Amino acid sequence: MSASLEIKGLSHRYRKGDEAAVSDLSLDVEPGELVALLGPSGCGKTTALKVISGLLAPTSGDVLVDGASILGVPPEKREAAMVFQKPLLFPNMTVEENVGFGLRMRRVRREDSSRKVEDALRQVRMDGFAERKPGELSGGQQQRVALARALVTEPKLLLLDEPLSSLDANLREEMRELVKRLCREGGYTTVFVTHDQEEAVVLADRIALLFGGELQMHAEPEAFYDHPSSREVARFFGATNFIEGEAKNGSVETPLGRLRLESTAPPGRTTLTIRPEAVRLDESGENSFPAKVSSATYLGTQVHYELDANGVKLRAALPPHIRLEKGDEVIARLPAESLWALG
Amino acid sequence: MGGRLKISLLLAPAVLVIGTLFVGGLYAALVQSLGYFPAIGQTEMSLSAYREVFSSGNFIDSLILTIYIAVASTVISTTLAVLGALALRRSSGTVSAVVFQIPITIPHLVAAVGIALVVSQTGLGARLASAFGLVGEPSDFPALLYDKYSIGIILTYVWKEVPFVALVVLAGLRGVASELEEVAQTLGANAWQRFWHVIFPVIAPGVVAASLVVFAFTFGAFEVPYLLGQDYPTILPVTAYNEYRSIELSDRPAAMAINIIIAVITALFAAAYLRLSRGLGRG
Amino acid sequence: MGKKRHNIWLILAALVVAIPFIPLVLWAFAGEWRFPELLPTEFSLRGWEQIISGGNRVPEAVLNSLIIGVAATAASVAVGLPAGMAIGGYEFRFKGAVIFLILLPILVPPLASTMGIHLTFIRLGLSDTVFGVFLVHLIPTVPYTAIILTSVFADMTGEMEEAARSLGASPWQAFRHVTLPQAVPGIAVAALFAFLVSWSQYILTVLIGGGSVITLPMLLFSAASGSDPVITSVLAILFALPALVVLVVALRFLRGGGDESGMIGLGKPS
Repeated sequence: MSASLEIKGLSHRYRKGDEAAVSDLSLDVEPGELVALLGPSGCGKTTALKVISGLLAPTSGDVLVDGASILGVPPEKREAAMVFQKPLLFPNMTVEENVGFGLRMRRVRREDSSRKVEDALRQVRMDGFAERKPGELSGGQQQRVALARALVTEPKLLLLDEPLSSLDANLREEMRELVKRLCREGGYTTVFVTHDQEEAVVLADRIALLFGGELQMHAEPEAFYDHPSSREVARFFGATNFIEGEAKNGSVETPLGRLRLESTAPPGRTTLTIRPEAVRLDESGENSFPAKVSSATYLGTQVHYELDANGVKLRAALPPHIRLEKGDEVIARLPAESLWALG
Repeated sequence: MGGRLKISLLLAPAVLVIGTLFVGGLYAALVQSLGYFPAIGQTEMSLSAYREVFSSGNFIDSLILTIYIAVASTVISTTLAVLGALALRRSSGTVSAVVFQIPITIPHLVAAVGIALVVSQTGLGARLASAFGLVGEPSDFPALLYDKYSIGIILTYVWKEVPFVALVVLAGLRGVASELEEVAQTLGANAWQRFWHVIFPVIAPGVVAASLVVFAFTFGAFEVPYLLGQDYPTILPVTAYNEYRSIELSDRPAAMAINIIIAVITALFAAAYLRLSRGLGRG
Repeated sequence: MGKKRHNIWLILAALVVAIPFIPLVLWAFAGEWRFPELLPTEFSLRGWEQIISGGNRVPEAVLNSLIIGVAATAASVAVGLPAGMAIGGYEFRFKGAVIFLILLPILVPPLASTMGIHLTFIRLGLSDTVFGVFLVHLIPTVPYTAIILTSVFADMTGEMEEAARSLGASPWQAFRHVTLPQAVPGIAVAALFAFLVSWSQYILTVLIGGGSVITLPMLLFSAASGSDPVITSVLAILFALPALVVLVVALRFLRGGGDESGMIGLGKPS
């Protein structure tokens, strides 16, 4: 049932002469895998999804399902069910009719289809709403029905275009769990578009990060925190510390002194990065140096500090029981296992 | 703010104008249709004008012709408009807006004259037919003006009203319908299924509302049939006008009775339209 | 993908729209055009010279049409603007009935009420006068301005006005400096179409003007009933001219304001 998806050198331009919305995107998704297409708004992720679904034709490149190109296949034959940002339930049909839509279009026998519809509604916890009209449901309920409507067709590909972004925060978290569970249980090959890195990290097996239509990095969620491929990727995931230096036999010469890394840094000019949560304060030892607190912001579960160390600005996030004031002199330490040299 | 007094004051001028001229006029027409003419010493009210109208073959012929023209124009316009909107919905919005807006803004009279010069027996159509050797003499070309089937009138109405309905349909199609269609497509619906199950239910109320407007208009409009129609039978408004112009003052109540009948029928359509379009607004 | 095909449909639609104008333009400049020639064999400006040279009623008719049109436009905007504000901006009892009343003259032909009111107009000395004709032109124009302006004010949420009030503007100042400027494109569209509705009016003018007030459509009508297609076409083009001007201006507003709903709601000035 679930299929592999392969995207090869995909580009899309809305009009001739326009900048490409997606350019030279290559990506593979294994059967049953959930890949998040992540990026800021306008980065081309929805365009990519629409090309996969067939709603848009690519300017160049290929889309393969189980190794065979599907570019010649019309969207309705691709078995690539899409869930959009808005629920987009058919207003003239009941919940039941909405969910059964795809089966009716495929002329599935009535008793089979009503059983499947019932199952799907139960899975999204919307049984008991079968006879309602979409207008009588809340936004979250509508989106659950939309999800059931896509799943009931047992698609080869499940394409989700920011399906949670129109929901409010606590509902979103609940839906996130639901989506994750359903995709796992059903074993659907899923492409999930989102601009929310937390959502991508929670849901995805792998994340494909897009900026300006171009793929930046395609890897497991942890890698984006631990081994970002570039300054932009690091910044998108909240790592704001960048230290310029010169790599020489295993360590890096920086304005903060010589810093040792656990990972390797290619020799020559390099930029080191470290996440704010990894920065230690009031700890001496390897990779430590004096710094001055230039601002402290209390955030409830954390305190964010801006540090100035020999002209280098660093940011540290610490638990609230350590309280420092602006102007305090501290010793800061950058643990070797948390430092990463950007390529 | 927004107290009753303020709203009443804001509404007063429009209500006064329409109340006096339109409703007052209709009231006067109603009274006169009942035979009330103090100017010639008639103050007895009766329904004799209505009896006379309903029993005259003239009126029945006229009513049938009016319904025929209104139904034909409405059905043809609506069908073409839906098809046209479906064909044009992905083309440039600005260009199609210009193309559609031209017939809407051009006066009916100009359209009627232009259509007449195309379809008359010496018109552009006949000349083209002759160029292809289809007709020799003008009289070989079918009579499409002043004819039994009111072809010229219907053509003029279709030319004028298709864009009006099409714009309503296009607005529906460019809105949520196109998104719903994409959903349906990824769920496996083919072109016909998408139209029938998804698009049509969405645009149907707008289409019905627009065609009610077209029907009411073609039922009660005067100019085009007056210019391009046959001498007998004439459509109801023209019949009313002819009775009204008659030298016999005794024909006046009949003219007014026909007017009232037209007003009642079109008002029913107006009410249906309003109901539908308010329901649409609530969506 | 199907872009080319869509353009073909658009070209086809444009052609159908153009058809009635082809003979009008050809005839207006034709000197001799016998059956079955496809194109005039001789061109001339006879028709245009004829309407410009004196000795006919064209200048008088154009002037009357303009005076009545401008007056009806001004009056119907003045009457329709407050009505549009009330219906579009507020909820009140009997709103449905008020909308029905205002919509009615668009769908119920005004011919009936005009015939009904004719006797009263005669008694008041209003028939056969330009003023009387102006008055009956309000029957079809006021509903148009009121309905268009209703949709204009319905689209405004009133939040801007509230913001202005919170910054110290009086109700009048808030209306004058915040609400009104936002409504200007809508008012312009309403005014343009009120003018067109009045300009296109034939039978109301004939009934109340009684032949003393001659307007352009009356001349066109008698020419069209006659046998000179040259004069008929020249008058038809003259009569269509304001519609084309209005179209160009309205589209400019459309592009600026993006208020397509206004355009759709216009319906159809006869």
